[in-house]
Amino acid sequence: MDRRGFIKTCGTMAVASLIDPSLFSQALAQQQDGMFQAYKKAILVKSDGTPLKEEDIKPQVNYIFFYPHAATPCYLINLGETVPPAEIKLKDGKSYRWMGGVGAKKSIVSYSAICAHQWSYPTPQYSFINYYPPDKPSDTTKKGGIIQCCAHLALYDPKQGGSVIDGPSDFPLASVVLQEEGGKFYAVGILGKDQFQQFFDTYRTELRQQYGTTANARELVDKCVVMEVDKYVQAVVRC
Amino acid sequence: MSRQWSDVSRRELIVGAVSVGVAAPLLVYSKTPKRQKAQVVVVGGGYGGVTTAKYLKKENPNLDVVLIEERPFFMSCPMSNHFLSGLMELTQLCFPYNVLEVKYGVRVVNDKVLGVEVDRKVVRTSSGYIGYDYLVLSPGIDYDIEDRPFYRDSLVYNPPAFKPGSEHIYLKRLIEDFEGGDIVITVPPPPYRCPPAPYERAALIASMIKRNKLKAHMYFIDANERPVINSEGFLSAYYDLYRDIATYITSAQVKDIDVRKRVVKTTHGDFKYDLANIIPPMKASRLLEESDLLKKGQKWAEVNPLTFESHVKNVFVIGDASQSYLPKSGYAAHSEGKLVAKIINARIKGKEVKEEYLQMICYAMVSDKEAIMVETSFRYDGISKRFIPTHREDNQRKESTAKRYEEWAKGLWRDLFG
Repeated sequence: MDRRGFIKTCGTMAVASLIDPSLFSQALAQQQDGMFQAYKKAILVKSDGTPLKEEDIKPQVNYIFFYPHAATPCYLINLGETVPPAEIKLKDGKSYRWMGGVGAKKSIVSYSAICAHQWSYPTPQYSFINYYPPDKPSDTTKKGGIIQCCAHLALYDPKQGGSVIDGPSDFPLASVVLQEEGGKFYAVGILGKDQFQQFFDTYRTELRQQYGTTANARELVDKCVVMEVDKYVQAVVRC
Repeated sequence: MSRQWSDVSRRELIVGAVSVGVAAPLLVYSKTPKRQKAQVVVVGGGYGGVTTAKYLKKENPNLDVVLIEERPFFMSCPMSNHFLSGLMELTQLCFPYNVLEVKYGVRVVNDKVLGVEVDRKVVRTSSGYIGYDYLVLSPGIDYDIEDRPFYRDSLVYNPPAFKPGSEHIYLKRLIEDFEGGDIVITVPPPPYRCPPAPYERAALIASMIKRNKLKAHMYFIDANERPVINSEGFLSAYYDLYRDIATYITSAQVKDIDVRKRVVKTTHGDFKYDLANIIPPMKASRLLEESDLLKKGQKWAEVNPLTFESHVKNVFVIGDASQSYLPKSGYAAHSEGKLVAKIINARIKGKEVKEEYLQMICYAMVSDKEAIMVETSFRYDGISKRFIPTHREDNQRKESTAKRYEEWAKGLWRDLFG
């Protein structure tokens, strides 16, 4: 490469970095008391592979996708109203600022679907942790607009960064940091106390059965297929 | 070991090999000098003890924690009715204690605790003494049969299967060998370990009779007026599903048992049996009596309801052995273990834990596919300075509740041994 070519390349890189999510991620990481982890930027797509648009995310429907690893499930929910940012405080004294909803109405939120209590997660057979829309509340706790795990009745608030509303969980759900760019949605990282290490330790056998190898299950994705949860899970267990 | 293999004579090697062979089950003892000390000693490797030990280390990895348990591995009583009725393998209920040492650094000592000397702050085991700063006792139950000697033979012939291990394995064999005839199951007066367990067991054995099309009748003899928990759910299942093969007899006390003639004598008549599961009354483990933590005549250890601390400072009693507002269950012991771990870790740092949340959630099968459930959460109220309960029962039997039940247990096992 000649001197001129080298300088030109550097210039391009400098411009490119202005829109690179990694810069955004670095800034976020500095503000978040170590509670933000940037992962590979991944585009959210529909089952046909085309980019997911805002109109595809129907309000109050529980969607699933896998991020940042091929095997780590996340929920995507359009709560139908503006969801403002919130300050999340953990029991261990750490805190972080959850950035609220994304999209035109700032109504779209996303969380890890691994219960922060004892790591129940949606499998192709069952999902015990689910979103309950306001008009379809839980029979047991009578609450709607919540994410609830039916195994031990851990309740989380999707409007408050996944904070614990009730039940035995010590931690909020980790949230997926979404960015909207030109009408497309990207996942760029995980905010909060993720349960991935515990998840991969605990479910080694199950994940190997489903994904062939642990490495496959751990693979970092750059594209996430978003689908309604009952299209992925055979029995959505509500309670 | 500093000595090389080449230094060991043939004779020594053979002697060594023999001793290793003999001492193999006691290998853990080799780490246990006759006198040792730990900051926290946890006695009992059930749900309460394992939870306490794990959470103490998880929150404070530098802490020196010893867990003493005489059984070589953990066996879950929750879900053991699944095993007894053929819905689950025994191995699914069993977990190695190794993971507590490997993953969290808890020193697990496979030994029998003979007593506690609270004034000297030492635990006496069959191989020596272990001193402590903090002691957590989670020793579970014993059968309360001293005033009722007729239970003694029955424990051997008709094991209650309320203590994990041989009792379950033998009862399972009796159930498998049963080809028809009369079955007797008895329920003691409360408090006893796991309130829904006898009712679930009766339903699952009745369900098994139907599934295997056996010519049999079950006499389900309850010391209580009605099921002590989820009564609506159990009663409707008994009526809807088993009324042709089972009779539910309430408020009946067991007076005598003749294991040779196979007769249970009760205040409501005598019942001959071909298969029996006689569940005696229960009390706290006799270890507590031997440690002066139970007053004469007391069945359960008195504790501070907010901290589970006994009358001796820094000595805690959790799980089924304590007298608490929580029912005696593995899940409650797990909740208590988490709380006590927080309290001890806070005290070590010179702090006190202020507000806490305790939960008890239990499921029970009423057939081989359907279950009911109960949840009570206790939230500390700073004004009244007590835990306020919220109680919920779901008595509608559902297959989805049975699936939740399985996930409930697996979640606990993931937490304890994952």
